[in-house]
Amino acid sequence: MNLTKTNTTITYDDTAVRQFMIASIIWGIVGMLVGVIIATQLSWWQMNGKFLETITFGLFQGEGLSYLTFGRLRPLHTNAVIFAFVGNMMFAGVYYSTQRLCKARMASDKLSRLHFWGWQTIIVAAAITLPAGLTRGKEYAELIWPINIAVALIWVVFAINFFLTIAKRNEPSLYVALWFYIATIITIAMLYIVNHLSIPTSWIHSYPIFGGLQDGLVQWWYGHNAVAFFLTTPILGIMYYFLPKAANRPVYSYRLSIIHFWSLVFIYIWAGPHHLLNTDLPRWLQMLGMLFSLMLWAPSWGGMLNGLLTLRGAWAKLRTDPVIKFFVAGITFYGMSTFEGPLLSIRAVNAISHYTDWTIGHVHSGALGWNGFMAAGLFYWLAPRLWKTKLWSTALANMHFWIGLVGILIYVAAMWTAGISQALMLNELAPSGTTLKYEFIDTLKSIHVEYFLRSFGGLLYLIGFILCGVNVLMTARSGVATNDSVEVAVVPREKKDTMRWGESLVNDPLAYIFLGIILVCLWFFLPAHANLGALAAAVLLAIKAVRSFQTKKEHWVNWHERLVDNYLPFTLLVFVSVAIGGALQIIPSLVVNRDKNIEGRLQELYTPLELAGRDIYVSEGCYNCHSQAIRTLKPDVMRYGRNGIADDYSHLGESLYDHPYQWGSKRTGPDLAREGGAIVKDTKLMRSGRRDNVWHFNHFLNPRETSKGSNMPNYPWLFESKTDFKALPKKIAVQQKIGVPWPAMSKDEIEQSAREQAMEIADSLVKGGVYLAAKPDLSGDALRNYLSEQQVVALIAYMQKLGAYREVKPEGGKQPSPLDPDSYRAAAMPIDTPAAQIKAH
Amino acid sequence: MSEPSTEPKRGHFAEKKGEVILREHEFDGIQEYDQKLPNWWLFTFYGAIVWFVVYWFLYYQAHHFRSDHDRIVAEMTEIHQKKNQELEATLASLTDDVLAKTWAKDPAIVAAGEATYAANCVACHGADLSAVMVAGEMKIPLPGRALNDGVWEYGGKPMDIFKLINQGSPVDATGLNGAKMQAWGQMLSPKQVAEVTAYIIAQNPKEFP
Repeated sequence: MNLTKTNTTITYDDTAVRQFMIASIIWGIVGMLVGVIIATQLSWWQMNGKFLETITFGLFQGEGLSYLTFGRLRPLHTNAVIFAFVGNMMFAGVYYSTQRLCKARMASDKLSRLHFWGWQTIIVAAAITLPAGLTRGKEYAELIWPINIAVALIWVVFAINFFLTIAKRNEPSLYVALWFYIATIITIAMLYIVNHLSIPTSWIHSYPIFGGLQDGLVQWWYGHNAVAFFLTTPILGIMYYFLPKAANRPVYSYRLSIIHFWSLVFIYIWAGPHHLLNTDLPRWLQMLGMLFSLMLWAPSWGGMLNGLLTLRGAWAKLRTDPVIKFFVAGITFYGMSTFEGPLLSIRAVNAISHYTDWTIGHVHSGALGWNGFMAAGLFYWLAPRLWKTKLWSTALANMHFWIGLVGILIYVAAMWTAGISQALMLNELAPSGTTLKYEFIDTLKSIHVEYFLRSFGGLLYLIGFILCGVNVLMTARSGVATNDSVEVAVVPREKKDTMRWGESLVNDPLAYIFLGIILVCLWFFLPAHANLGALAAAVLLAIKAVRSFQTKKEHWVNWHERLVDNYLPFTLLVFVSVAIGGALQIIPSLVVNRDKNIEGRLQELYTPLELAGRDIYVSEGCYNCHSQAIRTLKPDVMRYGRNGIADDYSHLGESLYDHPYQWGSKRTGPDLAREGGAIVKDTKLMRSGRRDNVWHFNHFLNPRETSKGSNMPNYPWLFESKTDFKALPKKIAVQQKIGVPWPAMSKDEIEQSAREQAMEIADSLVKGGVYLAAKPDLSGDALRNYLSEQQVVALIAYMQKLGAYREVKPEGGKQPSPLDPDSYRAAAMPIDTPAAQIKAH
Repeated sequence: MSEPSTEPKRGHFAEKKGEVILREHEFDGIQEYDQKLPNWWLFTFYGAIVWFVVYWFLYYQAHHFRSDHDRIVAEMTEIHQKKNQELEATLASLTDDVLAKTWAKDPAIVAAGEATYAANCVACHGADLSAVMVAGEMKIPLPGRALNDGVWEYGGKPMDIFKLINQGSPVDATGLNGAKMQAWGQMLSPKQVAEVTAYIIAQNPKEFP
């Protein structure tokens, strides 16, 4: 390169790196501790605070603390580990490496501090609100809306700081680590904003604007890609900087970097629907989810290969250097879990694994193995350099490694065993072949040992990580916080970012790629025959593209070399490639097919009291253990469906008006989609379903009274907390805005309806002879009036409504409709469906 | 704007000679090789892409796989038919007398019925069939009806009890405080229902001597 060089000395802002690193360690310990606590709750429900009775010798009295139940703490655990632990770790790695790769100090110290303190404030706010039951009820997106806005703003602060640094870089070419950081910043912003669109009903509550299927799609588009772009791409970027540094070896293959980067960011986005496999989700979305997950295997392993093979010639360091040990193990776990991911996305495998602990094992091999170990390697590498000293104890770091590794292996093996054995039991038929062999509770009891082992493995991992904290602390104390200074050659503005938009967008490689994507989409969405034409054209185009690449390889390569010298066109192309997948999956279901996606069943609207109950269900985090989606699988329909109805899986229309949707992702308890029932004779609003009001009452007081062996906590506070009737009119008004067809009701009518239904339920409870130990002197009308105001009655109203729908049969079956590949297929297929309703004997 | 250089670089010579290319540029001391992509990796990637096309084609063009709806309806229909046959066979072999005099007197059958009862029925009808839960001094009624008080709301013959358990409370019944029993025939086989019936009968020796 032929640049006019002026040299200057810059000092890197390593203070930000130190801050983020220390925050990451502290929050990591907190997040993992909460994880260990909730893991023990699955073995002993008393770990929600009831155990305090024993250890304080009776000084504390109570059935547990509402703040400590699994349903409320599990979101705290996931949020703490993802956003606080990995988030801060990522920022530490990004701030350190970006400055050095750009040969420039971060653009603004003020923005760096704002980023740091803003992010920590958000974490504290999360740690307060989540245990208090303030939640949006969507996994990894639980934080309430004011915090959402803060997250978005701080993320923008980070983005501005990052891109301004890139803009003033003294290194024209962008190193691969920066590609991954750019993808992270852009994609997380996109995902976070869309999945958090909601309309507030108060300062602490809001309803997401999407409901039912749409909410599910948006949720897992976000949820899956939070894993991709928060837990994977930034860490890959960190790997690309810190691993070659630590190993002192060149990166294995630059062209592998290019191929696996672009294929990873493009393909990952499409894989979201694999979280909803075998449900009533339209088949074409399931196909995309599964097939893109399979295609994701190789791009993921590209990252692993580039990591592991970089160590060629440096493997000896594995014996001596704890940093390399952690990196190698971390990358190996990345390879393992990105092999397991596609495997679990195969519909047949998912039929076994979904809703079980296998999934939990899968995410923990990623979280503990990949994220946790990469973090540890990063910290052990950074600490001596940030404080200009030696690592305090290599022996302690080695001990951390072995304790942590054993912890992960115990954890993951326990979860595999638990998940697979529970699934096999759940699916096992009785000898007659017409009923299931095991009760749900039997399958839960059978994995008790595994649950204990999981807590033990998690505890080991936590201990190891505390050792890391001690080691970093002692290292810091033994040295002096130092900010590196270097002399760099200044690259003037006119010598970088010279690519014009036309050059970056109008060229052979992009033309082939975009034309190819368009043709493939036409193949998905066009009606019969036309789609085959599109497929043929796509294949021909692919052949032509390969030819063109062979003959004009130089041209293609030079274009990409130019692209990575120009950050804005690069960023734009990253955005386009991550936007395509989500747009094609979500928009058709959003705008075109909403009414068609009810599959013959339309959800009955909630009454005001049922809505209040639903909000309590969401607030208590019931969805963390209970699903509301019967899959299109024999064991699911046999276990949860009703007698004699062959197609009694959960149809899409049954949750059309659910904001947020509550299909769930794990069954620590049974599915609840068919708990509800019809309106009871001689009452106006009260329903009774599979189990009656008194059963639910007793169950919430003490689940073990009704289900022996249950590990669900007692919910005594539901019997002592009042339902917020006054908030209902505002909530209903918001629901009307987002498309739920509530009938017109005045404020008084709403409250009156809620109170009337509550009274009916309370009345039936009192007639049923319920006994409330907390209020021994109440009986008769006094007890009825008291109960009618309590949350438990609203929650019972919701339980009894679950699954209520009316049949809506479209005339003439499924009509072909645009942007719905399934409808074309259905139209082309002869109708030979056996009658759905088989008359019960 | 400068045209991309077409001058041969060191990498090009190395590539021609089949040597591993070490790229010239350094980033903060980090260098990069430019190794060829491993063939097995490429084939994994290509294979997954080809499988995408093949699988989509098999489903949407060749109609090779059934839709989920058709499959589950076929599977459940088969189960329901089998279940109905089972039920008919059970009904054909069962009478009030057989249930009361043979099944209810067979300790093995009664024990099997007791096990099923303990797993499914206790929550509403109580371990001792009294539908009362004893908590310390308190006697708290459970949601179900007592099964040991000689009152049979929906018929007291053994076969009435069998049918009630199998099909749940009648559709038009009011239930007890609105509570109605679910159709246990969904979860339990006819044999299990008969065993539970036998157990209940055996617990009521006064009525069924």
